[in-house]
Amino acid sequence: MECLDLTGLACPMPLIKLKKYLAETAGQSRPFLVSVSDRGALKDIPAFCLQKGLACQLVSDNVPIQFQIHG
Amino acid sequence: MHTQPHSDSLPAQFSIIHSKGTLDWAYATFILASSAAVMDKRVELFFSFYGLQCLLKDTRGLKVSPLGRPDMIIRSPHGPDWFKRIDWNRALPGMVWTLPGMATLVTHGFKKQMARQGQMPIAELRALCLELGVKMTACQMTVDLFGFEADDFIDGIEFAGAPTYFVHTPENQSLFI
Repeated sequence: MECLDLTGLACPMPLIKLKKYLAETAGQSRPFLVSVSDRGALKDIPAFCLQKGLACQLVSDNVPIQFQIHG
Repeated sequence: MHTQPHSDSLPAQFSIIHSKGTLDWAYATFILASSAAVMDKRVELFFSFYGLQCLLKDTRGLKVSPLGRPDMIIRSPHGPDWFKRIDWNRALPGMVWTLPGMATLVTHGFKKQMARQGQMPIAELRALCLELGVKMTACQMTVDLFGFEADDFIDGIEFAGAPTYFVHTPENQSLFI
């Protein structure tokens, strides 16, 4: 599964990069993984996905925090 | 000089009146603005008084100084962990910050700390905000008050007075920084 590595980035950069990635891959409905080190992203990424209507599942809550996202 | 009001007539959903010309508060505003933009809010920033510093092409005027700032938390970006945990604004007497070069030293440390945190340099973060569609307006009255020229400012911003800001901004969720 493809993994978007957003570790080392601070708020709100992980979301900005995730949004850009979603725009670039629009139309593809493959699930992908996102890795982040920003601990605020633990709440922010699910909040962003909720707003965008994306399914978001926490895979690991230890740094690097990992989510599986599905459009 | 840009004299046209924003072409898109939809009012902003989140706005900040930014009045401070120091690096720390510039980060606060641009981070909030980019966060709001990424969450699909239309964002309007109005820069007035010393906040104009945040829109200048030359960002070297954006500094931090603990002088008269008991709220500041100053950590060293270098050294062992116990050393990096010291808040130098508490540990040292205030008069230390009056010594020549202190603002430069603390600004250097602050920039290092932000970079280590994963934040980009302020000019890049500002450019990113514009790219995300954040609208920025420089208060014309204070531009004139301080003798700035339109050419001193970055491209992509507007010049207008506070009345225009009020036309473009929401009825709720405005901040003053």
